[in-house]
Amino acid sequence: MSEQWFERDPLWFKRAVFYEIHIRGFFDGNDDGSGDFRGLIEKLDYLEWLGVDCLWLLPMYESPLRDGGYDISNFFAIHPDYGTVEDFREFVDQAHQRGMRVIADLVMNHTSSDHPWFQESRADPAGPKGDWYVWSDTDERYQDARIIFIDTEPSNWTLDPLRGQYYWHRFFHHQPDLNFDNPEVQEAMLEVLRFWLDLGIDGFRLDAVPYLFERDGTNGENLPESHEYLKRVRAEVDARYPDRVLLAEANQWPEDVVQYFGDGDECHMAFHFPVMPRMFMALRREDATPIYEILDRTPAIPDNCQWGLFLRNHDELTLEMVTDEERDYMYAEYAKDPRMKLNLGIRRRLAPLLDGGFDETQLLHAILFSLPGSPVLYYGDEIGMGDNVYLGDRDGVRTPMHWSGDRNAGFSRADWAQLYLQPLMDPVYGFQAVNVEAQLRTPSSLLRWLQRFIALRKEHPVFGLGSYEPLRGDNPRVFAHIRTWEEDVLLCVHNLARSAQAVQLDLPGYAGTVPVEMLGQTAFPPIGELPYLLTLAPRGFFWFQLRQAEQTP
Amino acid sequence: MTVDGNALIEYVTRQRWYGAKSRTVIHSDVLDTVVIRQAEPQLTLALVELTYDTGAHDIYQLLFSGSADAGEIDGLAEDAGLARELVSAMRSSLTLQGSQGAAAFQPAQDFTPLGRELGEARLISSEQSNSSVVFDDTLILKVFRRLEPGINPELELLRFLGEHGFRNVPALGGWYEYSGGPLTATLGLLQEYVADGVDGWELALEEIADAPERFLDRLGRLGEVTAQMHTALGSDLNDAAFCPEEPSVESLGLLTATVDEEIARVFLSLPDDDERLAPIAGRGEEVREQLRLLTHAGTTGRVIRTHGDYHLGQTLVSGNDWVILDFEGEPARTLAERRRKRSPLRDVAGMLRSFAYAATAAALTRDADVPDDWEERARWRFLESYLAAVDPTLLPAGDAAIERLLAVFELEKAVYELRYELDNRPDWVVIPVAGIERLMEAAAEAL
Repeated sequence: MSEQWFERDPLWFKRAVFYEIHIRGFFDGNDDGSGDFRGLIEKLDYLEWLGVDCLWLLPMYESPLRDGGYDISNFFAIHPDYGTVEDFREFVDQAHQRGMRVIADLVMNHTSSDHPWFQESRADPAGPKGDWYVWSDTDERYQDARIIFIDTEPSNWTLDPLRGQYYWHRFFHHQPDLNFDNPEVQEAMLEVLRFWLDLGIDGFRLDAVPYLFERDGTNGENLPESHEYLKRVRAEVDARYPDRVLLAEANQWPEDVVQYFGDGDECHMAFHFPVMPRMFMALRREDATPIYEILDRTPAIPDNCQWGLFLRNHDELTLEMVTDEERDYMYAEYAKDPRMKLNLGIRRRLAPLLDGGFDETQLLHAILFSLPGSPVLYYGDEIGMGDNVYLGDRDGVRTPMHWSGDRNAGFSRADWAQLYLQPLMDPVYGFQAVNVEAQLRTPSSLLRWLQRFIALRKEHPVFGLGSYEPLRGDNPRVFAHIRTWEEDVLLCVHNLARSAQAVQLDLPGYAGTVPVEMLGQTAFPPIGELPYLLTLAPRGFFWFQLRQAEQTP
Repeated sequence: MTVDGNALIEYVTRQRWYGAKSRTVIHSDVLDTVVIRQAEPQLTLALVELTYDTGAHDIYQLLFSGSADAGEIDGLAEDAGLARELVSAMRSSLTLQGSQGAAAFQPAQDFTPLGRELGEARLISSEQSNSSVVFDDTLILKVFRRLEPGINPELELLRFLGEHGFRNVPALGGWYEYSGGPLTATLGLLQEYVADGVDGWELALEEIADAPERFLDRLGRLGEVTAQMHTALGSDLNDAAFCPEEPSVESLGLLTATVDEEIARVFLSLPDDDERLAPIAGRGEEVREQLRLLTHAGTTGRVIRTHGDYHLGQTLVSGNDWVILDFEGEPARTLAERRRKRSPLRDVAGMLRSFAYAATAAALTRDADVPDDWEERARWRFLESYLAAVDPTLLPAGDAAIERLLAVFELEKAVYELRYELDNRPDWVVIPVAGIERLMEAAAEAL
């Protein structure tokens, strides 16, 4: 039965707050030590309370799990640890009933080397799947394509002893790239999309889209052929599935990423990668310049598209989109222990990156929420969970959610040793200190603050829909800007410094309006002809609604 | 059927049951039509979609009368008698095809009045989202106008309660629903009409003034009826939609956090200069502290399907017994929200708050001389018989836990009332103020 739980709203994603979930780490519903869909259903009331609009699931497909499920071995099945397709359908239905949508990761670029397609391709070069992957007699082709996992992969080519040829892989060697030049591959991937859309899913986060095609003499990223195929995917979705969203993961500079929006006929959303490290940089340098600069460098996007913005996610804090100098700075400031580095990034969670600072966490969320785009939160960061840098790869930021101070952090009733990873137990970020139960009960906790803050953002569609106008005051330590949509005009002012600051803002167009602070509904003195003077607490921020004098409280 | 789109928009947006007055309609579409009656007088059911400038849409049920080209957009308004066709379709269990789906009409089992010939039909003005037709003062047909996907909770609950032996509701006579491409939804339902019923709220105001003791006796019975209703609602372990459930571990924490935020918000916006607010002015932190103490430990007991919007205005007294009405739930909430399982004590808290309203309203509007302890006694009478009769496994274990949870739900209601009255009826603000004050005192004693 196709029940529509939502009002039709093609642009819902522009106003949405997203929440990224690692299913394995969220809640264990069947006591086997690993999170699953049954468990996730039990926690939907919590997510509804938190106020998030859309849940983004890390890959849930059948997989040998050599890359956290980004190595798919069957696109049409749920990993048995997580449940069944029926459980998934039930989960989507339950989420919809609570007003939350669901998108899932989908890896189009490659499969696991365990996938039957690859096994068939290597065993039978002349067979029907012989040309489904990128094979070559030499490892000389496409030399301009960089290696992404520099810590583990010496080449993008690996020799398959069975077929006696090299196969192409942009990521791990156990993840052969599909050959999108083959029309059958293109069609097979559309079949995958249709399967999950028919189950009610609201869209996909398309993993690794810049790498779909390969061409000699190019770096193999953002090729026109890839865009063409994504447009075909979009047309297919639009024709049969209204209100769905395609979110591109393209870790590229903004001028390259905007191509993934096409003319509003390609992906609905794309992550804005470069703004993320610059928020952290600005905080350490106590200087707003990096944020202003990257936003100045960000081209306009079509009206029906949106940026996805985030502070942290399931991967390392990626430093691909910064200069070498900036990267050295970031490593020096945020990865003092070499264990914290991974590839070109830092594998830490938000709270440890900010040394557990409450003001810093609030400030970064305020900046994130105020920027043009839709914020994406990462599970656990809402309570300030820590990480475990002693675990391999990115597992350190994928440990079980801390629900309470009970056994196994309330995550599972399995035996401690049976858990897929153990919850944190250190004195600072351990589950006895940092958990949902305790923070729910404490009105001044990060969790309770963030819930209020999400509610506040959702009261103002301007954050998702409005224009952005940078305001450079006389103090470079302050990041200020104005968001406008219809009658709603917001002035957002953030102090990046660890000391109190004053700033004078030129607001000639707003003379006569009264800034009303949005969290406490306090009216400030009206804006006059002279620059407007504000003083801010260390790492403090103000969000004001600029109202006409007669509408003030 | 050809209908002018602009005429449709104009018609629908003028109706009382039209729900989106602040929105701009840019387009209308007839999604499907189902012919109910071919011969004169003709009747055709239409699903009409209105699209708003934001891209959102609503689907409305209309009943076209007359010939295809020269009929009325809505036949019921013209001739309520046409509604007889819907009832007779139920009687015959018809399934009528449209182009995108079908309308299925169903009679309820063992409902003898359905066999009777229908005489007089009159359209009555009722709730916002329905049109209701009363036949011969014995049956009432509710036609849902704005359609929401899924089963209507009123139909679902009346059917369930009927099947599980709870008699203090108007018997369900039948229903009709649409299922197809555009959506699957309940379109309307037929019920017994309690012609001699006296509105429970009105009776309360009257008897608090004239015969307060008699009304207290009635409340004893109401407690028992409420308990039977909850016991029936929680009695079927085989029906997933009704089976009692253990709430999630966080449920009490989530409830507390929600109420706590609401208290903080309301107190933040309290006017400084209102005499009537004096008993609670500046005490927001104290109220929040009480809430924290109340919910410090404990559970919410099991959750079941509930009435959802329970107060004296949802009851009738007929003969000498109570009839419970309107299982639609709170109209502002989504259908999925209204169908959610909750603690039965939430219904109880709603009813207890309505006693506070009745006592004050009797004094304000009827000049009644209400005894000081009337509300306290009303609460006691109701609760005593409720707790004696309800299935105890639905509630948290132990009287203290029940009292605490009830206090939390009452506080939630009273805080909601405070905001509502401040915005809408400042004269009534004394009621939630007294309620919050009482809860603070009672909570202090209970701890």
